[in-house]
Amino acid sequence: MKPLRILIVDDEEDLAFTMAERLTLRGYRAEAVTCATDALQRVGEDEFDVVVLDVKMPGIDGLHLMAEIKQQHPDLPVILLTGHGSTADAERGMREGAAEYLMKPIDIEKLIEKIENSTALKKDEKP
Amino acid sequence: MSELSPQRRHELKLAFFGRIGAHVSHEMRNVLSIVGEYAGLLADLVAAAGNGRPLDCEKLAQLSGNIAAQVRKGTETMGRFSRFAHAADQRNASFDLTSLVADVAVLAQRHLARAGCTLEARLPDGAIPVTGDPFGLQHAVFSAVELLVEFLKKGESATIKLDAEGSTAVITIQGRATVTTSELSARISRLSPESKQWKGRVDTSCTEGLLSLAFEIPIQ
Repeated sequence: MKPLRILIVDDEEDLAFTMAERLTLRGYRAEAVTCATDALQRVGEDEFDVVVLDVKMPGIDGLHLMAEIKQQHPDLPVILLTGHGSTADAERGMREGAAEYLMKPIDIEKLIEKIENSTALKKDEKP
Repeated sequence: MSELSPQRRHELKLAFFGRIGAHVSHEMRNVLSIVGEYAGLLADLVAAAGNGRPLDCEKLAQLSGNIAAQVRKGTETMGRFSRFAHAADQRNASFDLTSLVADVAVLAQRHLARAGCTLEARLPDGAIPVTGDPFGLQHAVFSAVELLVEFLKKGESATIKLDAEGSTAVITIQGRATVTTSELSARISRLSPESKQWKGRVDTSCTEGLLSLAFEIPIQ
């Protein structure tokens, strides 16, 4: 079975790249970008199974970016990460089409569970 | 700027305290998240070594250095927030204006970053001793930065600078902004009430698109 391809988008470079490295060690094909422009470029160039996206980013924030990604790839699951004390943004994201959300700091096992759930749901939805 | 009731002033101060608290908690959550990821990666590498993957000592040293750097960053953030929080208790204190402006600049950088802009601080090398309400001054300067951000174009850079000449220090917040005189007048009425106390002076000569807000502070 081909490993899942994961795109991580977070303006905190250290966080994004370390998360990608940890997922890679667990057998996933994960890569990280630190801005919305790079994220849109990568989802336009390659096929990903899931996008893990920080809600609060400078410039285009995570929810706007999710809307743009969904416009290009309506079926691509998006998992939102929020460092905000409140879950209001993440809940809004869920209403707007996010598959899952997680609060920072991230528990890698929970992230993996959400990645597996969201990609399994996508497969189930296919006719 | 119309006179505000003490109750309204108190509400505005509390709202400002809340905004800064939210900025700092966001920053600290990021620091802790990064430390958590680095610690997790260390654990992953050790676990992989248990399964026969060779341990890369250089990588381990790099990760431990990264964790130490994040701890330093968190310590600085908490130090700044602690000074900010304690300033709220002091209505008339002697303080170093250079350090205060440096702290406000760092607190304001994230605010600008969220708007896709940057803030450059130009500060003198030495301390500038002043007396007054440090919390009120931080509120005044931050509200001037917030005003500027509303009119800055995405990607623009703003500056906050501190100059001292004779018995007066001047804090100037400046950036290229698209704003009409009427828009600016409407917005200036919402500057922090402390701006008045600190002789907030707004340069509205935006003919070349440069908006400046300045505060004059007597040096001790």
